Amino acid sequence: MARNVAITCFLLLGATVALFRLGTGETRADFTYVNPSGIHTLDPARMSWTQDLRVALNLWEGLTSSDPKTTEPMAGAALFPPDISNDGRTYTFSIREDSIWSNSDPVTAVDFIRGWRRGMEPGTATDYQFMFTDHIVGAQEYVQWRHNGVTLLTILSHLKNGEDIDEKQATDLGKLPEFHRLAKLWMPEGAAGSIENNDVPNPAELIQKIRKAKVDWEQVHQSFFQRHVEQLDARFSEVGFEAIDHNTLRVTLTQPCPYFLDLTAFPTWLPCHKSIERLREQYAKSPLTEQGLVVFDPQWTKPGYHRNDYPGLITNGAYSLIEWKFKQRARLRVNPYYRAASEIPCKTIDMLVIDNISASIMAYEAGYVDFLPSLAVPYDHEIARLAATGLRNDFKSCHTLATYFLQFNCASERILGKPNPFLDRRVRKAFAMAVNKQAIVENVLQRGDRIAHSFVPAGLIKGYESPAGLRFDPIRARTLLAEAGYADARDLGVVEMLYVPSDDKIIQAIAHMWEKNLGVQVNLRCEESKSFAEDKANHRFMIARANWYADYYDPTTFLDCLVTGNGNNDAGYHNLTYDLRVAEAALAKEQVERMALLSQAESILVEEDLPIIPILHYAELIAIKPYIDGLQPNPRLRFSFQYVSVQK
Amino acid sequence: MIRFATGRLLGGAITIFSVYTLTFLMVIAIPGNPFQQSQHSLPAEVEQALRARYNMDNNWLYFWDFLGDAVTLDFGPSFTYNDWTCNQIIADALPVSMLIGFLAIILAVLIGVPIGVYGAVKRGSWVDSASLGVILLGISIPPFVTGSILLLLFGVTMKVLPIGGWGTVAHLPLPALTLSLPFAAYIARLMRVGMLDDLQNDFIRTAIAKGVSSHLVIWKHAFKVAFLPVLSFLGPACAQAMTGSFVVEKVFGVPGLGQHFVNAALNRDAGLVLSTVLAFSTLLVLFNIAIDLLYTKLDPRISGAAG
Repeated sequence: MARNVAITCFLLLGATVALFRLGTGETRADFTYVNPSGIHTLDPARMSWTQDLRVALNLWEGLTSSDPKTTEPMAGAALFPPDISNDGRTYTFSIREDSIWSNSDPVTAVDFIRGWRRGMEPGTATDYQFMFTDHIVGAQEYVQWRHNGVTLLTILSHLKNGEDIDEKQATDLGKLPEFHRLAKLWMPEGAAGSIENNDVPNPAELIQKIRKAKVDWEQVHQSFFQRHVEQLDARFSEVGFEAIDHNTLRVTLTQPCPYFLDLTAFPTWLPCHKSIERLREQYAKSPLTEQGLVVFDPQWTKPGYHRNDYPGLITNGAYSLIEWKFKQRARLRVNPYYRAASEIPCKTIDMLVIDNISASIMAYEAGYVDFLPSLAVPYDHEIARLAATGLRNDFKSCHTLATYFLQFNCASERILGKPNPFLDRRVRKAFAMAVNKQAIVENVLQRGDRIAHSFVPAGLIKGYESPAGLRFDPIRARTLLAEAGYADARDLGVVEMLYVPSDDKIIQAIAHMWEKNLGVQVNLRCEESKSFAEDKANHRFMIARANWYADYYDPTTFLDCLVTGNGNNDAGYHNLTYDLRVAEAALAKEQVERMALLSQAESILVEEDLPIIPILHYAELIAIKPYIDGLQPNPRLRFSFQYVSVQK
Repeated sequence: MIRFATGRLLGGAITIFSVYTLTFLMVIAIPGNPFQQSQHSLPAEVEQALRARYNMDNNWLYFWDFLGDAVTLDFGPSFTYNDWTCNQIIADALPVSMLIGFLAIILAVLIGVPIGVYGAVKRGSWVDSASLGVILLGISIPPFVTGSILLLLFGVTMKVLPIGGWGTVAHLPLPALTLSLPFAAYIARLMRVGMLDDLQNDFIRTAIAKGVSSHLVIWKHAFKVAFLPVLSFLGPACAQAMTGSFVVEKVFGVPGLGQHFVNAALNRDAGLVLSTVLAFSTLLVLFNIAIDLLYTKLDPRISGAAG
């Protein structure tokens, strides 16, 4: 019996292992790195994670690209610099003759416009849509027009399927001028209220009216859909993108943008090969779906995807993707049509997914991996020490263009049932001056982060002078608190701080500083990141942690966040002078003047109003094997693998 | 028998539907937005377009649509990983989890049984104490500790097994072994207790009195009876090992379904959460039915009672 059990077990063991696809015995790539969480998406219009951007910029090439050392813009798929009009608003790019897709098609102006148009479509849901709408003539109008059309068509498609609409949809509907025009056709008196007087119909009433109306929704949908499709191209032609000829591209901006060539190197601005059209979802042979969306089969980013004769992902960068296994591995191989492809030292690149960073460090130590772009482990202070003391030259620290800060709720009159003390800037200032940032950076975290006195990381953006900010001064802090009417800090009641689990050490240190230096009672509320994001966006906090990573090389990538009404202004901060300074800067003729105005604006933030307390600028620890050449630590953590060589 | 099987299958379907409904309620009730993915706040119109695209603008419709599609084995797209469908993710990951789980159970038997038997036979001696110690360690050390130690030992120090990556036989032993240890410990305990009881039985005494060698007495006569509790433990253990290997997957970078399930919940990826829950619960239900059916074969009293 026992022998039988043992034999059965061994047989099963052998059979299972034999059934398991044996390793393909594939050779190791020339260069291997770890991407801890894997690729979220390879759609350049949809991506926002640093690790995704990194892969994209090795697969595609924009009109400009980033210098591997400085990350400043340099030549990409177009000649550099482009022709810029005197008023700084018109850029004319000449696409290089030797700019070629990985299937040997030449890269054309239309390919770029195809990618940009996709990025502006509501169905694409581009995170960085503002890069078009903030800068390009007609882009905002086009996006708004498309969005209204989609909202209406979505609701009409529900109605024509005999479904009811809910209050939220009715509210959206009531706000649409297109709907009011349409409603006149079947409701002689109109849909109640008129849009011109900003008199939006009551949603409940509107639902009732729609329910009662004797309308053929199928036909309403049909006619509106047709009209929208007919106008599609004409509307888009009003956007400031123009393909003058095969390889000349003209872009018209609403106002001069000194960092525009930095933007064009960003993935949102990458071109898109025409083969994607094979995967367009269609409704009644139109280019849109029933809801009016432009949708492509999201699997177009796969190298081995061939539905409808799709050739698989085609890219125009130094590498092309030849294999992508979900959360396992991606393999890149040199794009044979890329200019100077033969001179690229590393012909194949492997991106391994190892979720557990400690395990990835072991893989690195054992020699399976050449490069780790993140060393965020609980013992990172030890890694920072090894890097700083030179005991491990392969561990490096990058000063990033990113800020960790706290933000006050400046919007709500009352929080947690009490009047909000942080509406008073003296209170905010007192809290800011009671934080000993040096102690946090040097004693608590010990990672080699830089102390932040300003929101924009000081010294990293050329031509920009960050304001000095406030220094740690507990005595002055208590005076300010007393001036604000809180001589006894207990009158403030319990102050609540909202944060995420990874911040534990730093938040406890700050709470302790406030208790010690100001005498306030601090309550800590830790939330998992998704719940946190929702509470923060809805101003359900007193003080919340925050961080911001620069999207491009300009102070506005930070400063815009605190402009009144900006979608990222979670603090709900509002100061007219601040808004005015930022707006004036945008209109400034000279770059020096512009930077000075922005610096003035920032000094309102970090010296007078303090809607935020900048704490530190992150240092990102990375590991590069000593035999790897050409991989430059840089503040944006962008790494171009085409410059990497292995010196073994 | 057939009546018994259909009854169990029907019950299983109800169980799966209840699990689906409960999960769905939790998915829509918990705070957090699946479409919010980066540092930028999500503009209302972008969110609206996404909800329309994923059919999420009406929860009730989504509930039935998803279920209808799921019955035809179409789980739709993942909300977080746009480039993949849930079908592709599950098809890639579920076999991996099942493989690791299955190997772990086999290893657990191979490790646990001898430890339990020898512990019982040498009762009170140092062998027994050692086996009890091993059992205690196996049950109490969490897999992320054993996993990391094994990685360090075989991967970094001895360099005999690879770290990270997946696809060769060399990637299998460490995760399977790590996952097997708690099961092995439990099996050893069951085996030891069973053997202890058994060795005091009359038929064992008779066998010894007849002069049967002690080896034969232990491995043939006593083992047969003592192994039954282990056998009945193996069913649920198999299901548990195949669906609950999240920690092991995380430590070794095994591309199994457990990590996708946990990440999907953290990402509020409704599509992926619902599909992984359905995959896991179906697997568990099927396993339990299979085991129940096996029991009726082994012990006719059960089918008699049921039918």
